[in-house]
Amino acid sequence: MKNTDRLFGSLELLVLKTLAAGPNHGFGITVHVETVSKGLLHMEEGSLYPALHRLERERLISGEWRQTDNGRRARLYTLTAGGRKRLTENEASWSSVALGIERVLRFV
Amino acid sequence: MKHAIEWLRRLFHLDSAWQEEIESHLAMRTDWHQQQGIAPDAARTRAARDFGSPLRALEAVRAVHWAPWLDALAQDARHGLRVIRRSPAFSVAAVATLAVGIGASTAVFSVVDLLLFRSLPYPRADRLVSLGFSGPIDTSEFNVGNAYLDWRVHQHAFTAMTSMYPGGQCDLGEAPPLRVPCIQVEANFLATLGIVPAAGRDFHQEDDRPGAPKVALLSYPVWQSRFGGDPGAVGKTISLDDAPVRIIGFLPRTFEMPQLGEADVLLAEQLDEGVARAPRSTVFLRTFARLKDGATAETARQQMLPLFTDSVRRYVPPQLQREVGLVVRSLRDRQIHDVKLASWLLFGAVLALVALACANVANLMLARAAARKKELAMRAALGAGRGRLARQMFTESLMLSLAGGAAGCVFAWALLRTVVATAPEALPRLPQARMDGRVLLFAVAVSLAAAIATGLLPAWERLSAAALAGWHSAGSGRSWARPVLVAAQVAISLVLLTGASLLVRSLWKLESESLGFQPRRVVTATFTLNRQRYSSVEKQDAFYSEVEQKLAGIPGVSRFALSDTIPPSGGLRGRPFSNIRIAGHPPLPEQGGMVAFRYVTPGYFRALGIPILAGRDFDEKERSGTETPVILGQSLARRMFPTENPVGQRIGLGDDGQWTPVVGVAGDVKNSGLTDASQPEYYQLRMHRSWAPGLSAVALLETPLDAGTLERWVRRQMATIDPALPVTIETMQTRVDRLSERARFLAALIALFAAFGLLLAAIGLYGVLSFLVAQRTREIGVRIALGATPGQIARMAVHQAGVWTLTGMAAGCVASAALGRIARGALFQVSPFDPLSLAAAALVLAMAAAIAAWRPARRAAQVDPAVSLREE
Repeated sequence: MKNTDRLFGSLELLVLKTLAAGPNHGFGITVHVETVSKGLLHMEEGSLYPALHRLERERLISGEWRQTDNGRRARLYTLTAGGRKRLTENEASWSSVALGIERVLRFV
Repeated sequence: MKHAIEWLRRLFHLDSAWQEEIESHLAMRTDWHQQQGIAPDAARTRAARDFGSPLRALEAVRAVHWAPWLDALAQDARHGLRVIRRSPAFSVAAVATLAVGIGASTAVFSVVDLLLFRSLPYPRADRLVSLGFSGPIDTSEFNVGNAYLDWRVHQHAFTAMTSMYPGGQCDLGEAPPLRVPCIQVEANFLATLGIVPAAGRDFHQEDDRPGAPKVALLSYPVWQSRFGGDPGAVGKTISLDDAPVRIIGFLPRTFEMPQLGEADVLLAEQLDEGVARAPRSTVFLRTFARLKDGATAETARQQMLPLFTDSVRRYVPPQLQREVGLVVRSLRDRQIHDVKLASWLLFGAVLALVALACANVANLMLARAAARKKELAMRAALGAGRGRLARQMFTESLMLSLAGGAAGCVFAWALLRTVVATAPEALPRLPQARMDGRVLLFAVAVSLAAAIATGLLPAWERLSAAALAGWHSAGSGRSWARPVLVAAQVAISLVLLTGASLLVRSLWKLESESLGFQPRRVVTATFTLNRQRYSSVEKQDAFYSEVEQKLAGIPGVSRFALSDTIPPSGGLRGRPFSNIRIAGHPPLPEQGGMVAFRYVTPGYFRALGIPILAGRDFDEKERSGTETPVILGQSLARRMFPTENPVGQRIGLGDDGQWTPVVGVAGDVKNSGLTDASQPEYYQLRMHRSWAPGLSAVALLETPLDAGTLERWVRRQMATIDPALPVTIETMQTRVDRLSERARFLAALIALFAAFGLLLAAIGLYGVLSFLVAQRTREIGVRIALGATPGQIARMAVHQAGVWTLTGMAAGCVASAALGRIARGALFQVSPFDPLSLAAAALVLAMAAAIAAWRPARRAAQVDPAVSLREE
C-alpha cells in the first residue's frame, strides 16, 4: 500500500480531503490518512512535502508557521476557497475513475 | 511587484524554512513513536526510516519552487531568439547601435579607470599625499632642502614624510653605457610608500648618510633584462657613471614612482645638511607623505601651515614670498592634475553616447512593439499576465544588450589598440590600458543598464491596458515616449557636437598660435654630458667646440646653433625679475615673477628665425672676450626699459657684481608651452671657457635635407666625438606638435564620439519617421484622394520631425550652456559659450536631420491612394 501518491493524483486528493476537516500540518496529515484508512493507506512521507508545496504554489492551500499543542513549531496548512472547489471536482472524478476500474476488474 | 518580493523571499530565506518543516515532521514522528512506548533512540531511528531521505525531499521541494521559473526563462529565451531571428535587420541595427555605445564607453573606461578610479599600486594608497611649495618655478609642488629638513623634524601631520631628487640620469653599464633614469631617494622612500623590494633589501639609514658607499636598487625590467630575474644578483656590482655600485635589491614588477616618472635605478639621496643649509643653496626636492588615520589632505595642510609660513619667512627671497603657497594633495590628484578634466570629459562624452544608443534602441523597440501589438494582444487574451509579458520583453532587450555588449568589447579592444598606437603619450598610463576583468565587468554593467533602459520603457508603454485591449492596427502613434526619445537623442547629439566643435576650434587656435620662431626644417640633437668624464671646463669646452665644428660642417646644414635649452617646452633656467640690476637705475620693483634665460651661440636667432628687433645679433668674435653680451627678449626689454633704448645699457645678472652690455632686442617666443603665457626672457652668449652653459645642450641644424638622412649624419659625427654619449634627435616640428598632442587627442576622440552620436540620432529620426509614415499610409492615402498635393503631404510628414528636432535642439543648447563651464579648462582662447561653435553644431545637426527626414517624406508624398486604401 505504498504508492498512493502518483495514482491519479490520489495524494493530492487525500491531502485536500484531510485539510477539509480543518487546518493540519504534514505529520498530522499522514497520521490522519493512516488512522482513517485503518492502516490500509500509508503515505510516503518524503513525497508529501513536495506535494504540499506544489498545492501551495497553486494556491489550493496556504501554509503558516504555528505552535502546536505539544509545544512544537510546525507549518499548518489550511484549505483555500480554490482548494475546496478543486476537492469537489477531484472527488467526483475519483469516484468515476474508481467505479470504472472496479467495472473493468469485475468483468470476466 | 508583490510576487517578485515573495519570490525573492522564498529564494533567499525560505530554503531554511523548508528544511525546518521537514525537521519538525521528524520530531513529531519521533514523539509519536515514543508515545507508542518505543525508546527515544529507537524512536528517532524509526522516524528517520519512515521518512526516507530528507535531502531528497528537500530537493524535490526546491524543484517545485524553481521549476516554473526556469521553465519560463527557457521559454522567454527561446521566444526571444525567435523574435530576434524573425527581424534580422532590426536585430542587427539594435546590436550594432549598442555595440558602438558600449564599445566606446568600455574603451574610454579602460583608460580613465587607471586615472580616476583604480587604486594606485601602494598599500592604502588613499593615505599618500604629495606636498610642497607651489610657485612660479614649477607646475607641480616642490620643496627646497632647508625647508624640508625643518619639516622632517618638526611635522606632526603625517606618519611618515619622504623626499627624492627629481629627474636624475646616469650611465648604466660599460661600453657602451646606457643612459637611464637614475633617481636619488631618501632611505624611507619605499617604506613610506609601503613598497618592499622583490629581492634584496631596502635602503638603510647608513646608506643615506652623505659620503656613504653608493648602493642601488634596480627596477624590475633591468633585473629581468640584465640578470634574468636572478635573486642571486643581489650583492653584485654594476657600473654607474663609470663607478662601481653595489646592488642591494630589486624593485617589484608593479612598482611605479609616485610622480609617475621613470626610474631604472634608485640610489640613496644622501641629502647633505651642510649643503642644503648653505646660503643660496639650490637643493630642489619632491616630497611625499603618508597621512595619519582620520586625517585628510586638507587637515594635514592646516597642520603644516605654521611650519610652511616659517620656512617661507626664513628661506624664500622676499621678492618671491607672496608668490609661493603650500600644497598638500592626494597622490592621485598629483598624478593626474592636468588630465583630470580631460578624463572626465571623455568619460562624460561616452556615457552620453551610451545614453544616446539606448534611446535609439528603445525607440526601435517601441516602433517594433507597435507592429507586434496584435501578437501581444493575442498572448494577453490567451492568459499571459502583464508581468509575464513584461518579463518576455525584458528578456528580448537583455539578449540584444548582451549581444551588443559582446560586440562592443571587440569594438572597444580595436578602439583601444588604435588609440594607444596613435597617441601613446596623450594621457598618462595610456599604454597600460587593458581590457581586463574590471573593464569587462564595466562592459557587463553597461550592457545590463542598457537592457533595463531599452526594455523597461517599451514594456511599460506596450502593456498599457489600451494597447492590450486593441486589435486595431490603425495605430494612433500618440505615444509620448517616442517624441521624447527622439528629442533626447537630438539634444545629446547637439551637446556632443558642440563639445567637439569647441575642442576643434580650440585646437585650431592652439596650432595656429604664433610661436615667435620657425620650427620648419630645423632638426634638434639633444644630449647631456657625463659629469665624471667632463669634469673640467677644458674638457667641456673641447667637446662643445668639436660638436660645433663637426655638426656645422655636415653637408647640407645651412645654419647651426648650440643652446642649453630651446622653446617652446619650458624647462629653462630662471631667476627672479627683481634680482636684475640696471646700471645707473634704481632697483626693479619686487614681485615681478621669474625671468627665463638661455646660453646660445651666435647662430641661434637665425637658425630659429627669431627676429632681432633692435641692436644686433651676437658675434662669433665676442665669445673669447671678457664680457658676456646679452640680448633681451622684447617683453623683458619693455618692462626693464619702458622709456629708454635698451641697446647699450649695462645690466647685472648675478651676484658677482659684474655688468654686461645689452647688445640687442629679440622677438618674443613661446617658451613655457603653447597655452601658458610666455615668460620674459633674455639670452646670454655661450662664451668659450665658461662653466655657465652646463652639461646639457641642444644642437639646432637647419637643413633642406630630410630629417632621416640628417639624423644618420649627426649620429655618425657625434659618435666620432664621444661614442658613449646618448643623443636624442627630433625635428623641431615634432617637439612643437607634442605640446598639442593631448588637445589633438581629446578633440579627435570627442569628435569621433560626436560623429557616432550624430549618426545614431539621424538613424533614430529616420527610423521613427519611416515608421510613422508607414503607419499613416492609409490616412495619407485618404488625404491624397481628397486632393492634398504631394508637397502638403511631405510637409505634414516632416512637420513632426521638425518639432521634435527643434525641441531637442533647444534642450541641447541649454545643456551645452550648462555644461560649458565645466569644459572651460580644456579650451584655449575659445569661450565655452562660443556662439560660432554652437551654431556650427546646430547646423550640422539640422542638416543630418533634414537628410534623415527626406526619404520618409518622399515616400509619404508618393503614396498611391488606390493601393493604400485597398490594404486592409
